[in-house]
Amino acid sequence: MKKVGLLTVLLTGALLMVGVFDFPAWGDPYSPANRYLSTHYVNQAEKETAVPNLVTAVLADYRSFDTMLETSVVFIAGLAIFAILRSIEGPLVQARKRTESREKRAEKRDAGGDGQDPDLIVQTTVRLLLPTIQLFAFYVVGHGHHSPGGGFQGGVILAAGLILVAMTFGLKNTLKQFSERRGLAFGSLGVLLFAGTGLLCALMGTQFLDYSVLEAVYPFTDEIMARSHSMLVVEIGVALTVMSMLYLIYANLASHGDMKKGL
Amino acid sequence: MTLAQQAPALILLFPFFGALLTLLIGLYRRSWCWPATVAACAASALAAWSTVVQVAESSNALVTYRMAGWVPPVGIEFRVDALNAGVVFMIAMVSLLVAIFSRTVVINETAGKEHFFYTLFQMLIVGVLGIGLTGDAFNLYVFLEISSLSSYALIAMGRGRAAFSCFNYIMMGTIGASFYLLGVGYLYIKTGSLNMVDISRIMHEQDLFQTSTIHIGFLFILIGVWIKMAFFPLHRWLPNAYTFAPTATSALAAPIMTKVSIYVMIRYMYTVFDPNFVFGMGPRSDVVVWLAVIAMVVGSFYALAKRKLKMMLAYLVIAEVGYMVGGAWLANKTGLTGAIFHIMADGLMTAALFLSAGAIYYKRKSYNVTALKGMFQKMPFTMGAFALAALSMIGIPPTCGFFSKWYLISAGIEAGHYGFVGGLLFSSLVNAILFFRLLEYAYYGEVETPYVAAGKRGKKKGFREKSGRDEAPLSMLVPMWSASLGLVLLGFYSGEVIAFISRYVAEVQF
Repeated sequence: MKKVGLLTVLLTGALLMVGVFDFPAWGDPYSPANRYLSTHYVNQAEKETAVPNLVTAVLADYRSFDTMLETSVVFIAGLAIFAILRSIEGPLVQARKRTESREKRAEKRDAGGDGQDPDLIVQTTVRLLLPTIQLFAFYVVGHGHHSPGGGFQGGVILAAGLILVAMTFGLKNTLKQFSERRGLAFGSLGVLLFAGTGLLCALMGTQFLDYSVLEAVYPFTDEIMARSHSMLVVEIGVALTVMSMLYLIYANLASHGDMKKGL
Repeated sequence: MTLAQQAPALILLFPFFGALLTLLIGLYRRSWCWPATVAACAASALAAWSTVVQVAESSNALVTYRMAGWVPPVGIEFRVDALNAGVVFMIAMVSLLVAIFSRTVVINETAGKEHFFYTLFQMLIVGVLGIGLTGDAFNLYVFLEISSLSSYALIAMGRGRAAFSCFNYIMMGTIGASFYLLGVGYLYIKTGSLNMVDISRIMHEQDLFQTSTIHIGFLFILIGVWIKMAFFPLHRWLPNAYTFAPTATSALAAPIMTKVSIYVMIRYMYTVFDPNFVFGMGPRSDVVVWLAVIAMVVGSFYALAKRKLKMMLAYLVIAEVGYMVGGAWLANKTGLTGAIFHIMADGLMTAALFLSAGAIYYKRKSYNVTALKGMFQKMPFTMGAFALAALSMIGIPPTCGFFSKWYLISAGIEAGHYGFVGGLLFSSLVNAILFFRLLEYAYYGEVETPYVAAGKRGKKKGFREKSGRDEAPLSMLVPMWSASLGLVLLGFYSGEVIAFISRYVAEVQF
């Protein structure tokens, strides 16, 4: 069986290589991928959407539908972790009850929050660092359509800040501040903000996600600026979902699904 | 835009918003998840019907929807024609029926996680509907991701070996999706476009069909969808994954996920690529048809050998995939018509079978064949629906199974491929043996209490035998019977449906 597998891999690799010989030259400005649609995006994006960051323009406007669905992929990934790992009080947890006493003993042993004793240096550093991290994340989200950045990146940075807090101050304390239910609600609301913007466009009489009609909603804008503003709204939705879902995935994985005791 | 013009997008948006809102509602009130899901699925089915009507009424049998308002190759487009309108409607209907059915089983099998279950359930529907609707090759991949990811989670929520069989599925499914994505990448580097119709236009205009990149891209896309549909040598993940999944998951995934992959294959073969390209390359099509024959025979045989009802049905799904792939690769119009019609017929049949099997499991707590003994006295309505679906699976006239098989067999004769004809007849015979044996058990057998491990003091845990009739609740009977009667209805209206499909088939030049 191993040999069959090796043979398949070799065959696939060989096929891939055969295809590569036929590719356009590396970096060829006249290759189909550079000449056809990309030209349109490069030449027209700023005129049509008033967004200098072309990547964001393609991502959040031309192919915004893909991005909305990719955001929901993050949302689904988080929910999948919940569906599989999260232990809910009920028949499923009966078996775990037996091991609980052992856990309790362990907990008594290292009393003082969960995990190790709180470390003053680490905690102080995190206290100082966290606002900076979050501010930077807001910048990445908010400025995403003008400079490198965007909802996914900003959301990850925000989630990293939350995870840092959970690692230093204990998962239990962090969950008191940012509960599981709130995280799930934020995850859903983030996608809803994105899709809701699209639905609003549809309700106002154009296609789903066609931001140009939203000029009636934002003050002092024209059709093109409305696209730019909507991209910001949409990126905020993405950031909200990515942040809460990554944080909850961490919380689930770190606590073996019972949301009690983290790393 | 009027509401009717929004219909192609609404098919998808109802379950999408439904999923997001279901989670929000479910965080506070878990009992409201089911009504929310059913409402979203019902609205989606309504929108799907409206789209079908629009396609039928339009002169060129085409309804398009521009996402975000951009003109197609620049933006993403939904494209509904006579090929996918029926498939999408079937998917929406089956989802609605399974959603209604799921009321009691979800509470039983995934207690405390209903809100996660229903959110993922609707996301799976979104993914599969999107694959059916989109006209963009990359957008299709995103939907593939959504449907796969949510189906992994839904399958892993089952008990016993579910997690392990799901892991196998994740491995295979990820490899399949990667193959598809690589294939799309190869097409993109040669054409520079992602819109399916646009790719086709560029390939024709620049005569790219001779280049090896396009050949390899086609092959990779094909292998990707074959893994996703569990076509014969790549089918090993399917039986375990569908057997150990929760009842509602397998009833939803089995009818729609493999069928939509077959739709994707047909779409790529006939819309994106060209029949001359696909079949004009020596023995390739013959090899695929023979693989399909092996799939039918092997699937049927394995089904016959199994002792668990759900496992049998899972292997039958593999056999049915062989029918459709074979029909699509016979390279004639009758075969293509038969394959497309069979997508709809088989989706409904599989749904009816899995739903009635789920109802039997709900009452008997066992999938063993012996648990079927005497079921006609205990659950006459459930078994009635099961029998009707079984007849359609075998291919007996008033049901739609007969008509699709008729088309497929005559296509085999037309193409002179008697191996395919023989394989199909043989597989139908094996189906007949299998189902008549089950029905015989159910009709003549004595009721047998299935084996349940005895608890303390001989008390039987989790199973209470009731004397006399013990029928499944109405929330199960209604969808089950709707599916079974739908089979007869689709049989009666097969002329109209096939006339509708042939508006697509007529444009294909062999």
